[in-house]
Amino acid sequence: MDSKVVAMLLAGGQGSRLKALTKMVAKPAVAFGGKYRIIDFPLSNAANSGINNIAILTQYKPFLLNTHIGIGSAWDYDRNVGGLRILSPFMSEDGGRWYTGTANAIYENIDYLDGLNPDYVLILSGDHIYKMDYEILVEAHKKKEAAVTLAVMEVPWEDCSRFGIINVDKDNFVVEFDEKPENPKNNMASMGIYVFTWSILREYLLKDGEDKNSDHDFGKNILPRMLEEGNKMYAWIFDGYWKDVGTVRSYWEANMDLLDPNNTLNLYDKNWRIYTKSRNLPPQYLARGSRVKNSLVNEGCYIVGDVERSVIFSDVVIEEGASVKDSVILSDCRIKKGAKINRAVILEGSVVEENQVIGEENSDGVFMLAEGQVTKE
Amino acid sequence: MDKCIGVISGANIENNFGALCIHRPVYMLPFGGRYRLIDFSVSNMVNYGIKTVAIFTGEKIRSTMDHIGDGKPWDLNRRFNGLVLFPPVTQGYPINLKGDISQFFTAMDFFEQVREKYIFLNHPNILAKVDLDKAFKHFIETDADITMIYKKQEDPWGEYINCDKMNINEDGEVLNIGMNLGTETDFMMSLKTGFMKKEVFIKVVKEAVEKGELYNLEDAIMTNKDKFKINSYEFKGHTENIRNLKSYYDANINLLKKPIANELFYERGTILTQTKDEPSTLYTETANVQNSHVANGCIIEGSVENSIIFRGVKIAKGAVVKNSIVMQKSEIGENASVINSILDKETQIGEGVRIAGSTLIPFVVEKRQKIRKD
Repeated sequence: MDSKVVAMLLAGGQGSRLKALTKMVAKPAVAFGGKYRIIDFPLSNAANSGINNIAILTQYKPFLLNTHIGIGSAWDYDRNVGGLRILSPFMSEDGGRWYTGTANAIYENIDYLDGLNPDYVLILSGDHIYKMDYEILVEAHKKKEAAVTLAVMEVPWEDCSRFGIINVDKDNFVVEFDEKPENPKNNMASMGIYVFTWSILREYLLKDGEDKNSDHDFGKNILPRMLEEGNKMYAWIFDGYWKDVGTVRSYWEANMDLLDPNNTLNLYDKNWRIYTKSRNLPPQYLARGSRVKNSLVNEGCYIVGDVERSVIFSDVVIEEGASVKDSVILSDCRIKKGAKINRAVILEGSVVEENQVIGEENSDGVFMLAEGQVTKE
Repeated sequence: MDKCIGVISGANIENNFGALCIHRPVYMLPFGGRYRLIDFSVSNMVNYGIKTVAIFTGEKIRSTMDHIGDGKPWDLNRRFNGLVLFPPVTQGYPINLKGDISQFFTAMDFFEQVREKYIFLNHPNILAKVDLDKAFKHFIETDADITMIYKKQEDPWGEYINCDKMNINEDGEVLNIGMNLGTETDFMMSLKTGFMKKEVFIKVVKEAVEKGELYNLEDAIMTNKDKFKINSYEFKGHTENIRNLKSYYDANINLLKKPIANELFYERGTILTQTKDEPSTLYTETANVQNSHVANGCIIEGSVENSIIFRGVKIAKGAVVKNSIVMQKSEIGENASVINSILDKETQIGEGVRIAGSTLIPFVVEKRQKIRKD
């Protein structure tokens, strides 16, 4: 990229609707797709898009996230110039504060951005699964000479009430924000990905920082205020796989999406690899008598039983006569002889006992095993 | 083990591997779905706390450079100690450049400068996860100048003819090393691995250069065996001595036995290698995989039995792979059949093509070769 872009990746989200999945880790650190964690997607996108400076803003239970990211080697961000920084909330002369909103997290780190003095700031969220070339987004922003460019995508009309809907003019400039509308005028939703011209964003962050009535949120405060004051806001339309895994069900569904060999996320694309920290495990072994169909299986697994339409993470043992269907088995689990698992998410390190039954085959629920307890959603 | 440096020497290896070793040294042969032979040597050293590893690469060094790099996968990219690569010296020294003695001699500065007092020498073509703590303890406690490691190898079928045979007395002292002719049903197979006092190593190498008669370290040691205390240490675990195409094929297929895979992959530390960022392997509706190791990044739509499938391999619908080794990024077309074969990296077997070797002489497809039906 010719101009200087700094990416700010918001990774402090709790993701409370993911229940036990986020009991110990922040939502961006939740395991996904056999070997990844959710944050690998925006991080790999940034690396593949040629972003040289990226900061990760952490807050909620950051230990595993910090271990996973390390110094960013997996994404080639361990550099002398630029690279990756982790920005956590900190103390200053007038006391310490938590990040109170998305905009506040950036506002608190204005010194970091001033130090780099970028042309553009790219705001990303660590909660979403998608592949996007941010360079194209930034180029569109430059070409349209906008103050801010929002990545938007079409969502099903019935889901509009869950999203921030963006109404645009014929040239795709934003004319109105419609937060979670009952009667939407169109179905273009904001993806929470923004490119700001830094000088303009800086001005608005300072104004917003002084506003005691503000929630210090991009979607609720900064963007509406910018629009009101006549800034040029461009809506850039993204067409591809995108998923916000907000609930256990959508988490399960997103994993199941990967089983379609023609899924649009296409993890096998060599030109847009998703990188992650590797555990360097031996290959998987499928024993005589095993039956593995329509499934993703990762390194280190030892499979003797049946696996159908499932995502099996690393180092999972599935013993003889055990059957796993329509399920997601996270790393280091052991499914003992004769156990039956249907439509379930089995959390890291679980042991499913002999002949234990989890989930139901002809149910429309999604089950989850965490710390020995099964819940249904 | 921090008193010891690791030295891997793969120089002067005769080539019995045909098309597989046109572009790579033997120790760079892919093994076990995602490794290279040398990964076992380097990982075992690192797992036992050796902090300095010197590799005498031999020729055909490009694949070594690419794979080993700065030693990062083994945590050997250190500011202190770490990995040292010695590409072959082929000119510029007024000594005879035959054998490994000359390579060690031209690296004498390195050996003299490192602080460690002991050397662990290892041959990368022989896989053995030796407990280095125990072997080193034996070496130190017996106050030996040299401790050589052997494996009591059963060989009722004479499969190990031409391997190095070690003869020892009842005190474990090494008498001599010769060639196994299969006259006994078991023999002490030298693993070409062992410990040496650094001062002894330096002395042996320098003397050999001064006399100019001996070109190999092993010969130089055994010619002077009366001057040193040379004893032995028995390794009781699983060993793969990879010396020709057949033993290479068998070593891979042996991994399908659970105890062997467990020992080589998991016991006494896992094996580290260059990671490739491949996604998980996808098995489709038509996949049928039995008794096989499959690495990440594959898309399996066909049948696989008794085979080792490396990273990023595609096996199409109706294809059958049996008793075979399929290396990285190879593609097997619809209804093709691959039996008793070794496919090198990035080969393409076209739709409906049938290839087969025997388990004694596997059919080898050279790297990047495409086989199509006329």
